[in-house]
Amino acid sequence: MSRALKLQKSRWPEWVAALQRTAAVIAPVRLHGEDVAFERITSPSEITLDFDNTADPPKRFLFPQVEPLLRYRRNGGYAVEPVYDEEPRVFFAIRCCDVSAVRFFDFTLGAQDLPDSYYTARRAGTALIALACHEPCQSCFCVCADTGPFLPPGGGYDIQLTDLGGEHYLAEVDTDKGEALVAAAAELFAPASDDDLAQRRALEEASEKRFPSEPRLYFAASSRKVSLDTAEAELWQRMARWCVACGGCTHICPTCYCFNVTDAQRNGDGLRSRRWDSCQYAGLTREASGHNPRPEQSDRVKRRVFHKISYQYVARDGMQGCVGCGRCTRICPGLRLGLPEVGEAIRRAEWK
Amino acid sequence: MEKRPNIYLPEIARIVEVRDETPDTKTFVFRFRDDQFHDSFAWRPGQFVELSVFGLGEAPFGFASSPTRKESFDITIRAVGALTRALHAMGTGDEVGIRGPLGNHFPFDDVQGRNILFIGGGIGLPPLRSLIHNMLDERDKFGEITILYGARTPTDLVYKEELKEWEQRSDVKFIVTVDRSEPGWEGNVGLVPMLFSKADIKPDGTTAYICGPPVMIRFVIQDLVSMGFAEENIISTLERHMKCGVGKCNHCCIGHKYVCRDGPVFSYKQMKGLLE
Ligand SMILES: Cc1cc2nc3c(=O)[nH]c(=O)nc-3n(C[C@H](O)[C@H](O)[C@H](O)COP(=O)(O)OP(=O)(O)OC[C@H]3O[C@@H](n4cnc5c(N)ncnc54)[C@H](O)[C@@H]3O)c2cc1C
Ligand code: SF4
Ligand code: SF4
Ligand code: FES
Repeated sequence: MSRALKLQKSRWPEWVAALQRTAAVIAPVRLHGEDVAFERITSPSEITLDFDNTADPPKRFLFPQVEPLLRYRRNGGYAVEPVYDEEPRVFFAIRCCDVSAVRFFDFTLGAQDLPDSYYTARRAGTALIALACHEPCQSCFCVCADTGPFLPPGGGYDIQLTDLGGEHYLAEVDTDKGEALVAAAAELFAPASDDDLAQRRALEEASEKRFPSEPRLYFAASSRKVSLDTAEAELWQRMARWCVACGGCTHICPTCYCFNVTDAQRNGDGLRSRRWDSCQYAGLTREASGHNPRPEQSDRVKRRVFHKISYQYVARDGMQGCVGCGRCTRICPGLRLGLPEVGEAIRRAEWK
Repeated sequence: MEKRPNIYLPEIARIVEVRDETPDTKTFVFRFRDDQFHDSFAWRPGQFVELSVFGLGEAPFGFASSPTRKESFDITIRAVGALTRALHAMGTGDEVGIRGPLGNHFPFDDVQGRNILFIGGGIGLPPLRSLIHNMLDERDKFGEITILYGARTPTDLVYKEELKEWEQRSDVKFIVTVDRSEPGWEGNVGLVPMLFSKADIKPDGTTAYICGPPVMIRFVIQDLVSMGFAEENIISTLERHMKCGVGKCNHCCIGHKYVCRDGPVFSYKQMKGLLE
């Protein structure tokens, strides 16, 4: 399914207001100072569409940093019940790489052979309105990851918006959910013409050309070495010297989903929650005996890269674990251990 | 609200009995509070559960009894940390959460007619006991059954009464050893591999099941390979820090495999292929 409509630029706030009547709208908001982040908005006027990408990914609205799973009560015996969050949500103006990251979560947490019902409950009520990119953002390499700057039909969005340059957005509607979002304010939309579609294609090509030649991940070459375990062991050790094990790269990553589970209780009543964890922490694998199968930071740096780009994982999860957003490059205190830098070093077999 | 399958939701089970094994290890006998659920609960030796001590969290433990003995199930637990110590303070009638069965299981149907060699070390015997009971209950399906077991000291041996029964059975060859002797011990002293020469093992036609501390597993596998065991006939379990038990949290991965979902049982052949 796919059909193309046109939306008058000046009227998107009316559409958002219509969407707010049935769902929470989560959209880019400029925070104090510079950063733009996804927030749940109360009014369309809070939204900014003048941003390259948000500082943190929209991940926490589908996979919260701390998420209650079970509530239990002790009343003689124990009673346990799940805590679900099924509030309908619309992500408005989510970038293509982040849409791809949601798709990755659908493969991993949502995998239908063993669905995580907390994720799938939230996801079922969530719609994605993407905003295609005309300019590359800082450190991003979505072109290498094949996750942007525009997405093809079936790319994971419900609607994809493209700024056609003049008075209009092109709205590509790809799913039933997308149709429902249009229906919320059908009077704002008109059919798009062949010229509009040609314009969209031209914009996509122009956008791709603007991406710098560096940094480049060379996914194929680095993935081969990582998958076959032929990357030089020395490299991991040198990289590990730059890593302060803060976990920033994994927390900021739109596709990372390691979690820990903890209980909190009072007088026998309690709450079991999960919270983000990180493969960059020694505690992730340390066993009760004290034995740690990944004792060195170099083992953990290697682990992160393996999960991101090995083809064993691509085969398992249907998709590469890195969508090329470049956030890890921006967050790393040494500005060194982002996926593009690491990937390039692995390909060249040198890390200075 | 619509009821949906939830992979994290435990079922309530009650402690039916507690048996002291060693100074730091006890066997807990469990039964689900809901009889109907209990009767429908099906699992295989080698699988494990995530056990909740409410307020403290969950930890993985292997089944220590056979599914052919359905009235209840045993889990043998060593106190090492907060959750296991709290469990050791619990008694008959107390409630825990049980989520499972999880993971794969020991090969059973595929090894019918073969000789079976069990090699257990310390707290590694409990998961093997599950399979031992299962095979003894279906004794005529297997060839010779040999059980080799080692612990640090005689005090550290689990299932002391039962070991005596195995010793007396004519259809089982059972040999035990301890690393260090204690007054009153008249048996073998030395590490588990010393038992190989006493046991007259035939690598052809035998499947070996090993469970114990990682160092023991490593040495035993080396010995079995040099005796001529095929890599696919050496079966062991891998232990990892686990949280979710269902391949979601990433705590237990080795390469792209999850010990909780693809394991915990692996043949040596499979283990060698796991990229770390
Ligand atoms: C498949 C499988 C089967 C098992 N079967 C058995 C069995 O039959 N019997 C048995 O006795 N044991 C078994 N174990 C081991 C058992 O799961 C551990 O002993 C148990 O988890 C210890 O829990 P605890 O809360 O008492 O210890 P904890 O207090 O959790 O653990 C002590 C140590 O664990 C580490 N740790 C725990 N949580 C964290 C965290 N969030 N971050 C960092 N470090 C942490 C720390 O190093 C800590 O010192 C099995 C394990 C596996 C994987
Ligand atoms: S952000 Fe950089 S320093 Fe922090 S854990 Fe990741 S690689 Fe290490
Ligand atoms: S690994 Fe880095 S570049 Fe790739 S998706 Fe994660 S944060 Fe973005
Ligand atoms: S315990 Fe969570 S992935 Fe295995």
